[in-house]
Amino acid sequence: MSTTTYTPRRGTLARTESRQALGFVSPALAGLALFTIVPVVLSIVMGFFNWPTFGDKEFVGFDNYVRLFTQSPDFWPALRNTFVFALLYVPISVILSLLLALSLSSRIRGRGALRVLFFIPVVTPMVANVLVWKMLLQPQGLFNGLAQSWFGVQLPNFLADPQWAMIMVVVMSVWQGLGYNMLIFSAALEQLPESVVEAARIDGAKGFRMIWSVMLPMISPSIFFASIMTMITSLQVFAQPQLLTGGGPGNATQPLVQFIYNQGFKFQELGLAAAAAWILFAIIIVLTALQFRAQKKWVHYEH
Amino acid sequence: MKKIHVGAVAAAAAAALVMTGCSTGGGDASSDTVVIDMWAGSQSDTDALNAQLEIARKQNPDLKIELRTAPWGDFFTKLTTNMASGNMACVTGMNSGMLSSYTDGFRELSDADLEAAGIDLADFSAGADEILSNKGTMYGVPFDIATMLVYYNADLLDAAGVAHPEAGWSFDDFEATAKAATKDGKYGFAVGMGDFQWQALPIAKAGQQPVEQDGTLALTDPAFVDAASWYSGLVTEQKVAAPVASASDTGWGENQYTGQNAAMAVDGTWNAVSYLNNDAGFTAGMTTLPSGENGSLGLILGSGFGIAKSCKNPDAALKVLGSMLSPEAQDYIASSGRSYPARTASQPLYFESIDEQFRPQVEEVFTKAFEQVQGQYVSDNWSKVGTYIQPQLVSVYNGQETMENVLESAQQQFGE
Repeated sequence: MSTTTYTPRRGTLARTESRQALGFVSPALAGLALFTIVPVVLSIVMGFFNWPTFGDKEFVGFDNYVRLFTQSPDFWPALRNTFVFALLYVPISVILSLLLALSLSSRIRGRGALRVLFFIPVVTPMVANVLVWKMLLQPQGLFNGLAQSWFGVQLPNFLADPQWAMIMVVVMSVWQGLGYNMLIFSAALEQLPESVVEAARIDGAKGFRMIWSVMLPMISPSIFFASIMTMITSLQVFAQPQLLTGGGPGNATQPLVQFIYNQGFKFQELGLAAAAAWILFAIIIVLTALQFRAQKKWVHYEH
Repeated sequence: MKKIHVGAVAAAAAAALVMTGCSTGGGDASSDTVVIDMWAGSQSDTDALNAQLEIARKQNPDLKIELRTAPWGDFFTKLTTNMASGNMACVTGMNSGMLSSYTDGFRELSDADLEAAGIDLADFSAGADEILSNKGTMYGVPFDIATMLVYYNADLLDAAGVAHPEAGWSFDDFEATAKAATKDGKYGFAVGMGDFQWQALPIAKAGQQPVEQDGTLALTDPAFVDAASWYSGLVTEQKVAAPVASASDTGWGENQYTGQNAAMAVDGTWNAVSYLNNDAGFTAGMTTLPSGENGSLGLILGSGFGIAKSCKNPDAALKVLGSMLSPEAQDYIASSGRSYPARTASQPLYFESIDEQFRPQVEEVFTKAFEQVQGQYVSDNWSKVGTYIQPQLVSVYNGQETMENVLESAQQQFGE
C-alpha cells in the first residue's frame, strides 16, 4: 500500500534532482563543449575544406587527404621521421628508465639525490635543454673540441648530417624524458608487496631471475602505462626537432606535428593541416588500441 | 531526457561559437579607438614606439590611440590569427619581405587615401613606394628604408694583416679579404641562413633577383644559380666560411660575426648601430656589397604601416598612419638612430645620431648602398619558398647537396 503512493513521489523527486544536477554540471559541460567538442568538430570540418586563414573557404571533400598522400613532398618524409623517432625513442627510453629505476631501488647512499638529478631535465624548460645540447653538439662545441684536443679526431657536424641529426634528436629526447618514466617505475617498485618478494627469496630467487620473473610481472601495469604514454608523446614530438635541428637538414628530422605546424601557421593552409592532424590522431588511436589488446598477454593486475 | 539536455547545451554552445568565429567585419572593439599593431623585440623598441605614439596623440587629440606589440616572430603568427578572426588592428605594421602573404588583409592605398593621411610620396626616398607594394598595388607606407651591407670586424682583419674593405669594392677584393682573414681558427666570412642574408651576395653578383617583376619564380635562372653556387662554394670549396651547425640556427652568419668567429658577414642596415656599439667590444666596420661584372644590385627593403581592410574607421586610421609617418615622428626615429628614415628630409638626422668616429663611414656607405637598389620582387608563395630552402641550405653548406639541386627542386615545387 505504502509503496504504491511512494513510487510516483520518488519519480518526481528524481526528476527534479536530475534537473538540478544538470544545472550544476552545465558550467563544466559548457566548458567541455566550448574548448573540446567544438574545436574537435571544427577540425574535422576544416579537413574537408580548402581553408585559408583569410579569404574564401571552399569545400573540397577528400582532396586534402589525397593531396597529402600523393602530392605533398614533405608529408611522407614527416610520417617516416615520426615513426623512426618513435621506434628508436620508446624502447630506449622505457628500457633505460627501467634500468635506472631498478638500480636506484636498492638502498644505496645518495639515491634520493640521484633521483632528483635524473628528474631535473624533465622540469627544466625544453628551450634551455636544447640550448645546452646545441652548445655540446655544434662543430665549435664541447664534444668536437674535446675530440680534437684529446684524440685529434674531427667529429661529424651532428645536427647538419641527415643521419646523425635524427640520432641526436632521439638521444637528447631520451635524456630529457628519462626522469619521468624512472619516477613511475620507482614508485611501482617501492609498492611491491613485501610478502611476494620474501616468498620468492625463500624459494631461492635472486638477481636476474628475481627481476625477470617476480618484479617485472608485478610492475607490468606501470610499464604498460609508461610505454603507452611514451609512445603517444613520441608520436606528437615537436619541440625537440623544431629547436634542435629546425626539422633539417632538408626535412630529415621534420616530424608530423612540425609539418602540421608549418602547413597551418607558416603556409596558412588550415585545411591541409587539419587533415594531417586527423591522420596523426588515427595513427595514435590505432596504435594505442593495439597496445591495449596486446596487454592481456603480458600485463598482470593481480598481486 | 538527460541526453537530450546535454545535446542541446552542446549544440547551443557550438552554434554560439561558430557564429562568433565566423563573424567578420572585425575592426576594433570600440570604433572610436584606433589600434596600432607593431612588432617590438625589446623595451627600447617599445619605448621608441611609445614616443611616436605620443606624437600621433598630440596631432590627433580627438582620437583614442592604442598600441599593441609582439616580438618579430610572434607578430606575424598573431597577425595571421587576427586576420582570420577579423581582429586585425586598424593600423598594422608590415615589412617588405612579409607583405606578399598578407596582402589580403590590407586596404589598397589610393591617392585619395595618401592625401587623407597627409602624405606626399615626393618627400620620401626614391623607391620607397615600392617597399610595401605588391604587383603594382600599394598596401602601406614605409617609415624606414634598408638595404644589405657587408659588416666586418676590424680587429680580426687587423690581426690577420688585411686591409679594411672600402665602399665600391669588387668580388675579387671580397674573396681575397675572406681568404686572408681565414686563419687561427677564425673564418673570413660567415654564410647567412635568412633569406635576405644569404641572397644578398648572389643577387649582387648575378645582377638580378630570383623572382621576376611579375612575381614569376626564377630560381633556376643560370646567372642566379651560378652566383648562388659560388656563394655556397665559399664554405665547401674556398673554405673561407664555417659550415652551419643546424637548420635551427636561423641567424647563423650574424651570430658568428658578433661572436667574433668570422671577420665578415652580410646583414641589413637596420643593424648598423647595434653592430657599431656591439657588446663584445670589437671594432665593427661596414661597407657596400661588392660589385662584379653585373654591377652590385641591392634590394630596397623597409617596414611601415598599412590600414586593415576590415577597419571600421579608415579615416581615423589614415590620420593616425599619417602622424606615425609625419616629419616629427621621422625626425624622432632618425635622431634616435633607430633606423634610417624613409623621409629624405629626416635622413641627415640619422647620421648625426651616430658616434663621430663612425659617422663619415656610415654616411658614405649608406649613400652609396642606396644608389643601386631595386624593390624586392616576390612570388605569391615566397614565404613557402623560403621555408623550404632554409633547412636545405644546411645540407648545401655541409656538402651533402648542391645549391643547383636545391634551387631546381624549389623551382619545381613552387614555380608552377
